[in-house]
Amino acid sequence: MWDNFLQGVLLTLRWDTFGMMGLGLMLGMFVGALPGFTTIMAMAVLLPISFFMDPMVGIPFLIGVYKGGIYGGSIPAILVSMPGTGASVATTFDGPSLTKKGKSRKAMEMALFASVCGDLSSDILTILFIGPIAIMAMKIGPPELGAIILLSLIIISATTSGLFIKGLVMCFIGLFFSMIGQDPLGGMSRFTFGFFEIKSGIPLLPMLIGLFAIPEILQAVEKKITSFVAEEFNLKAGEKLTFKEFRRSIKTIIRSTAIGTSLGIIPGVGQVVSAFVGYAAAKNASKHPETYGKGELDGIAAAEAANNAVNGPTLVPLLTLGIPGDKITAILLGAFIAQGLRPGPQLFTEQGPLVFALLVAMLFANIIFLVLGYLTIPLFAKVVTIRKSALLPLTAIFAFAGSYVYRSDPFDLLVLVFFGVFGYAAKKLNFDVTPMVMGYILGPVLEYSFGQTINLGRGDTLHYIFAARPITAVILAITPFITAGLWWRSARLRNKHIKEPPS
Amino acid sequence: MSIRKLSRSMLVAVLLVFVGLSPVIADNYPSKPITLIIPLGAGGSHDLNARVFTSVIPSYLGQAVVVKLMPGAGGQTGTAAAIKAKPDGYTLIFTHNYIDQLQPLLEKLPYDTIKDLKSVCRINYGASSVVVRADKPWKTLDDMLAYGKKSPGKLIFTTSGNWGATMTPGARVLLEAGVDATYIPYKGGGPAMQAILAGDGDFMMSFPSQAGPLVEAGKIRALASAGNTRVFPDVPNLKELGYETGTMDRIVMAPKGVPEDRMKILRDAFAKLNTDKTYKKLMKRIGENIEYMDGPDYDKLRPVNQEAYRVLVKKISGQ
Repeated sequence: MWDNFLQGVLLTLRWDTFGMMGLGLMLGMFVGALPGFTTIMAMAVLLPISFFMDPMVGIPFLIGVYKGGIYGGSIPAILVSMPGTGASVATTFDGPSLTKKGKSRKAMEMALFASVCGDLSSDILTILFIGPIAIMAMKIGPPELGAIILLSLIIISATTSGLFIKGLVMCFIGLFFSMIGQDPLGGMSRFTFGFFEIKSGIPLLPMLIGLFAIPEILQAVEKKITSFVAEEFNLKAGEKLTFKEFRRSIKTIIRSTAIGTSLGIIPGVGQVVSAFVGYAAAKNASKHPETYGKGELDGIAAAEAANNAVNGPTLVPLLTLGIPGDKITAILLGAFIAQGLRPGPQLFTEQGPLVFALLVAMLFANIIFLVLGYLTIPLFAKVVTIRKSALLPLTAIFAFAGSYVYRSDPFDLLVLVFFGVFGYAAKKLNFDVTPMVMGYILGPVLEYSFGQTINLGRGDTLHYIFAARPITAVILAITPFITAGLWWRSARLRNKHIKEPPS
Repeated sequence: MSIRKLSRSMLVAVLLVFVGLSPVIADNYPSKPITLIIPLGAGGSHDLNARVFTSVIPSYLGQAVVVKLMPGAGGQTGTAAAIKAKPDGYTLIFTHNYIDQLQPLLEKLPYDTIKDLKSVCRINYGASSVVVRADKPWKTLDDMLAYGKKSPGKLIFTTSGNWGATMTPGARVLLEAGVDATYIPYKGGGPAMQAILAGDGDFMMSFPSQAGPLVEAGKIRALASAGNTRVFPDVPNLKELGYETGTMDRIVMAPKGVPEDRMKILRDAFAKLNTDKTYKKLMKRIGENIEYMDGPDYDKLRPVNQEAYRVLVKKISGQ
């Protein structure tokens, strides 16, 4: 293995590999930062280019697009509260508030450092423990997945800014929205009232932009402030992150990396869930949890380190079994196959040096990205210093354009407006929309795994879970206790709030 | 010249220009990039196949073919969009036989694919194989079916989605053999294979790009394959065993009403792919065959397939 590893390192040390990886990172970052364009779209479009390149150039190029795109998605989330994917929703908790305080550059730098740290350490862990991770990934079938999602939804509902019960209500609304359209198991239409447009369900991207960006715009208009960044901070928009601020978050980054790496083993939902769990854990561990959600740099670090730490382990089923866990790895699989590499159990024995070369290339990609990202941040930070009279209309245009280009379907604009109004009303009523989004994203997965578990149990589900699924049984057994604990904590926090109202 | 006369002569002039122009437009076809709708998601085999042929076809068509992924409602969103598109030859769809010929049987849809779409060609077909985990006792398809028959409901058939490309051929075999199995749908071929490897399912139908490496590594065993030629040299075809071939046909189609001369230009361009070296090399690399079929021939097959699926759907869902 060591020989293969060294050979792999030598294979990566090529100018064209590094050059194309850098290009991919930049392309990915800009595409990811544009609302309405996703990393998956960028990768699918750029995939054929890689067919005509050397494997050691083409695949690092796509890996670059992938990593750049994931970070790029956090930029609009921080600046204008426009998350491009479920994974960057947790970044909108603190990002926009920091931007309003004139700390957008700090926030983006924190996001960059946390992303790179999380990604780098999870890649190293993945290279070291690829075998055990592969075995663990096999243990997660539908019953385990369902139980983990159930628990995650409860944790997410509890860590929102409001009351636990309000969080749960929103979570259920989200679960309901996820049921609109074709049912994932049987293929029957539900709640569509015969409208063909909503048969494929409510599209995620217009919903996210509507829920998070539109209320921000409406509120800014309402407050009649002249600049998106409050006047007195305007000059400081370019202030850099200090080492002291970074050091304060190191613990959070390590914790989030551990969470992200372990949740990354769960195919498909890792990124979304880990960002939230990382955030929740940081909030719980903090001595001043009340600052989270109001512009806390540590919150950015928690979410970004966690969702990037997922990247390493998600590649494991692809490399060891040839099974893609999500769409991004499915596109990477296409690139591998087109290069004549067939991911599977024998890839390591047949193409050992090359596989290690790719893994090492991933490590280098992080380092290159640290430099490129750092150099481009001031550019993005400038965006919010534009006068509000120009920035708000621009944000609105981007919100509509972004929703439209996603599928080029005018129906999506209605979705955007509906959820924009919904988000605004929810904000006024002090309901946090996050549990709803999570319920919506995880709902189909939960439903899928629930249905599959019922089928697997052949009519005696309970017996099946306790007899054949010990992991599921344990998770389900501890869920009520965790729920009760969270409920108690929420009630206590509320009492505290009533006694000493926040200034 | 009165105004009325003037306007009439202008109208005539305008009409003449249009009449005169239309053959010119036809001659120049295609004069702008063609959109190819894929009603399925990114990273699937359709996406990958399309990325290969769209990178080669501009040399025969003189225009780029731009892939537009429109997943949703199991393929219905993209199919509806292709049917609604203007039949000018600038919008095509790259779909497969189960979306085209089976889906309309499951529920009421605002279109009739057989009438509303015409084939440009079948690019190739995907031939999946019946696979089981290596430690299962069955050495042949008959062994497995005999077990299924003996213990009804015990045999677990893991699919990549209801009535999809890996469920329908398997369901057809089970039905013909009279086996009552438990169907468990997964979200795509990857999770389905994971279920097989983890032992949550007994068998599935898997495409060679995924099954190949796992068969070679001895993790799974193939019992039978779809298609006209053998996928694995020592594994019989479903056809040899007396079942339907069960392939997934990847087809390029156009909405009905595209002028014949344009259809011919498209069909000719796609036919020329089969002699293109780069195309053949890339298709071989991604492990796909080039079992091309001309559009008119494939159009004859579609209603025949649909009748067979009708029987199958009726028997399985009891509708």
